[in-house]
Amino acid sequence: MFERFTDRARTAVRRARDEARAEGQRPVGTEHLLLAVLADGDGLAVRVLRDAGVTADDLRERIRRHAETGDSGLGEADAAALREIGIDLAAIVARIEESFGPDALREAAPAPRRRWGRRRPAGGPFSARAKKVLELSLREAIRLRHRHIGTEHILLGLLREGRGLAALTLTEAGVDLADVRHRVELALRASA
Amino acid sequence: MSHATELAAAAGSTDPRVGLRAVRALRRLLERLEVVQVDNARRQGWSWQEIADALEVSRQAVHKKHAGRPAVESSREA
Repeated sequence: MFERFTDRARTAVRRARDEARAEGQRPVGTEHLLLAVLADGDGLAVRVLRDAGVTADDLRERIRRHAETGDSGLGEADAAALREIGIDLAAIVARIEESFGPDALREAAPAPRRRWGRRRPAGGPFSARAKKVLELSLREAIRLRHRHIGTEHILLGLLREGRGLAALTLTEAGVDLADVRHRVELALRASA
Repeated sequence: MSHATELAAAAGSTDPRVGLRAVRALRRLLERLEVVQVDNARRQGWSWQEIADALEVSRQAVHKKHAGRPAVESSREA
């Protein structure tokens, strides 16, 4: 599948892997693909996003916040989900730290579950959604009758997938996914 | 609880995504709390059997899950 990828798109995929690796033993997620696309500062994808009113720095910061875990060792999304059912995570952290010292909960990382005969998540280093994004980028290229797959097609794939952390981050940044898709296609047509 | 958050909670309660996400977060929290409390019990010299009884699980289950961590100083066995 990667044979149609341009050098820049290949670099982006490699960078996505590096981003995931930098966070520990994690599969490449859609957010890593987005970070990689954003790293190509001269790319059409970054330009289009800027025109749509969102900067690469802002998106990077938002993704970092999603990945970051707080005093509890749980992410902000976890805290929000718990709030939704009436649990105040901050209060729990405070109680635990009162008894067991600062960072007690953060440092209490459970051991990863051992699954015999299955050492890595099935399907290799890409999450199911990230794989879907790459498939969709291929499909987008075919639909647009492009013979190559560039970073802009990866962005189209991310937008089309629509449900991963990348799409969530874009939506939270105030981006209308359909609008950006439209903008990418316009820019591609203009440069063709 | 303000009116707005009440509304949000009411609106969210029937959405499976919201509810299931909360369950996932709760499970993560539970795992961490268990580590904190089991380590504390071991530090206070509790046996695996005593911890297992308190958690209402088998001794083997507790041991398998928690014995692999760097040992905490046990006041009774040390």
